[in-house]
Amino acid sequence: MFIRISSSSGIPITRQIADQIRSHSASGALTAGDRLPSVRQLARDLAVNPNTILHVYERLTAEGLLERRQGDGTYVAENLSPARAKAQRELLIGEMDRLAHRAADLNVASDEVHKLLDESFARIGKQRATGKKGQTP
Amino acid sequence: MSDKPVIELRGVQKAFGKNAVLRGLDLSVPAGQTFAFLGRNGAGKSTTIRMLLGLLRPDAGEVRVLGLDPQTHPLEVRRRVGYVAEDQVMFGWMRVGELLSFVAPFYPTWDAAWAKELSDRFELPLKTRVKNLSKGQGVRVALLLALAHRPKLVILDDPTLGLDPIMRKEFLRDLVTHLQDQRVSVFFSSHLLYEIEPVADSVVILDHGRIVRQAATEDLRAAVKRLIAPVESAGILAALPGLLDISRNGRQCTAVVEDITAARPALAAAGISPEELDLNLDEIFEAYVIGRRKEVRDAKSDLERVA
Repeated sequence: MFIRISSSSGIPITRQIADQIRSHSASGALTAGDRLPSVRQLARDLAVNPNTILHVYERLTAEGLLERRQGDGTYVAENLSPARAKAQRELLIGEMDRLAHRAADLNVASDEVHKLLDESFARIGKQRATGKKGQTP
Repeated sequence: MSDKPVIELRGVQKAFGKNAVLRGLDLSVPAGQTFAFLGRNGAGKSTTIRMLLGLLRPDAGEVRVLGLDPQTHPLEVRRRVGYVAEDQVMFGWMRVGELLSFVAPFYPTWDAAWAKELSDRFELPLKTRVKNLSKGQGVRVALLLALAHRPKLVILDDPTLGLDPIMRKEFLRDLVTHLQDQRVSVFFSSHLLYEIEPVADSVVILDHGRIVRQAATEDLRAAVKRLIAPVESAGILAALPGLLDISRNGRQCTAVVEDITAARPALAAAGISPEELDLNLDEIFEAYVIGRRKEVRDAKSDLERVA
């Protein structure tokens, strides 16, 4: 599980880590039953306060994405589908809000945004078809 | 959770001549936390830390470290606290191994096995003279000396000063591994805020001898927001509660508020919904201390005229 944090970003570290675990799960890089690194291990790897990691694991457990097994660490939940769908939606909703704000600032109407979004899907579809997968930053 | 605070300051004042450095400091640091102590140069960070170690006497107020008054019990405090200074002066002519043997007897609780383990993990060259150590090795020696007596509280005064980015990251990793893992309380002063954020449970911002904000890092990040609205809404933004900063950039007006939930009712009442942006710790710190608050009032009247 590759996680990268950026301290200069405006996004709080807990959210950075939680979002990356969510997107690993949404993309299938993490699947049901996978074991996550221990709190202590991930804290060392990322040089992040163990409480922060604990907080993230607790939050994702509450969302149903992770499962904590007594004395045996943290796993990706077996019954993942609802949590996974929710995680995917949460990620998207944040991006959408940002887009809507930007559009409003630029005085671009909702219809126009929908049209641009369709075009964007078409472009990405073409790129993916030719084998160049769109890389997530 | 009945642990007493490891550090308590109440109404602490200190002036050097006519220069008031601390103007009534109140601070309580709970046990087991990593506390980031932030402030610009001259804000009073070092003065505070020197008081915690009993090196300076407060003009007024109370200082307690692990329940002890550092003025009346300086030795006891020093024996229970690990301390890494920003430019640790050590005995340069000693070899690292000699230095460790020299310092050990000062601490009744010195744990020789732990010291050995740390020096192995830090890969310290025991036969090298201290003055010939690299900067990074020097900081690790200082950290070892601060940890080997198994203190309940470690005070770090800008310990990463002068380290390159790789060594700073290593230092923070050491901190996470050897202190936070063992529930040692850490009081960490620094001016490299973006570095502090991943390791700090709580943040305290000191400005002009006063504490302007103390909060859990996560809560601080959730509360302080930058709002962006069309310039016509400037008057509304200027009147928000907890306004830290406001400025105009062309057609837009930008404000920083210290608690977005407190600002929302006013925004809702005015019928505007500005874009809310997250701030990183550097930006939050800047909003608090760059002194714009003084100008906020001027800016308010200015903007009200525009709006």
